[in-house]
Amino acid sequence: MQQCITKYSGLVWSIARRYVKNHTCVEDVVQETFTDLWKSANRYDPAVASESTFIGMLARRRAIDFARKESRRPQLEPLPEAESLPQSSAQPTFFIRGESGDVVAAIKDLPEETRQIFSLHFDEGMTHPEISEKTGLPLGTVKTRLRRGLIEVRNKLRQAESGEAAQPSNSINS
Amino acid sequence: MNDHDIRNRFEELEAGGILGDLDAEEIKEWELLSKDPRCKRDFSLELTAAAIEAEFLQSRQSELPQNVKEKLRTGIAGFVAPAPANVVSLPAWRRILSAPQFAWGIAAALAILLVAKTLFEEPQSIHPAPLAGVALPPSEAKSQLMRKARDLKESDFGGLADYGKMTGKVIWSDALQEGYMTLTNLPVNDPAVKQYQLWIVDPKRDEKPVDGGVFDIPATGTVVVPIRNPVAVNDPQAFVITMEQPGGVVVSKQQVVVAIAKAY
Repeated sequence: MQQCITKYSGLVWSIARRYVKNHTCVEDVVQETFTDLWKSANRYDPAVASESTFIGMLARRRAIDFARKESRRPQLEPLPEAESLPQSSAQPTFFIRGESGDVVAAIKDLPEETRQIFSLHFDEGMTHPEISEKTGLPLGTVKTRLRRGLIEVRNKLRQAESGEAAQPSNSINS
Repeated sequence: MNDHDIRNRFEELEAGGILGDLDAEEIKEWELLSKDPRCKRDFSLELTAAAIEAEFLQSRQSELPQNVKEKLRTGIAGFVAPAPANVVSLPAWRRILSAPQFAWGIAAALAILLVAKTLFEEPQSIHPAPLAGVALPPSEAKSQLMRKARDLKESDFGGLADYGKMTGKVIWSDALQEGYMTLTNLPVNDPAVKQYQLWIVDPKRDEKPVDGGVFDIPATGTVVVPIRNPVAVNDPQAFVITMEQPGGVVVSKQQVVVAIAKAY
């Protein structure tokens, strides 16, 4: 666990800060993400996702949950518990290890306009209305491009990874 | 819309949910479609979003502030690796279950069953799941359980002997197989010297108490400890905390009973 904190606390902290404005809540998100990680570590399967992807997902969930509470926006539904993640023994229906090179390549394949929106959203941390204002694109177009871009990247990662045997090496459940 | 269109629409709504941009109408649509057997949820889009975010953040990742890092380390100080094998010794349990401080109805019956069982079997070896000692706050997981469990049971811990000042509660849901202990005034332990260990007594499941694992108390005050039962517990009659040697292997001569929460 200490290893995980050393290695990934920066990532978790950065994700939390991106979504949550209240400093105390950011700290809570970080602590709860690592609690989630500890609770679900035995369900982590390196063949399904890389460590940073897995931990990033846990951090996003917690952060988005907090952000929803902050903004009092309607909840879609509670995010699935960490325990509901597929176990190693289960046959996964997806493999999104999210290796850095594959992710970069998949994003590069996106249309230029979508790449720009991705950069504004994922890199700059801009909200959809902020992106719409900056780019001059209608809000609906921003939403659609982001959604379809996400699906496209997922499909490309699947393609890239479907033929590869995963090389498990991790510090999460060791 | 044909099947293909429906699946595509559902996937787009899933992506919107992960990106946090669904409007009220889309939420309704998503809820409707998620009940459609043709629409299957998986984690791939969520993992993809996380992978993209991690990629972009690589270049602008900031360090966790030192004070937050310290808090985090303190908060998870109770995270303990599971012991390779914990052996429950019969004499110890007989003593615990027949503790005079508690007129425990099941004690005699349980002790008899334990004796009978032990005559024919080797001591039970258990591989417990680890426990997390999480400093308050946060206790959100516990609050969540209190909100969602329909069969929540609650019981008070009573500290024994040197631990008389400790107080605590345990909540448990049979249906969700989830529970939490909230413990106050348990002395801080040195994990290298001794560790606390939780036992769950569920006579309907087994005559032998279920090992709930070991945990540490990293700081004074109140801590919430999730119960991580490695096997299903259907009708717990008691939760018992003992103090054991590091790793949680019970040795009868060293048995120290810290606290007991009786049946509800």
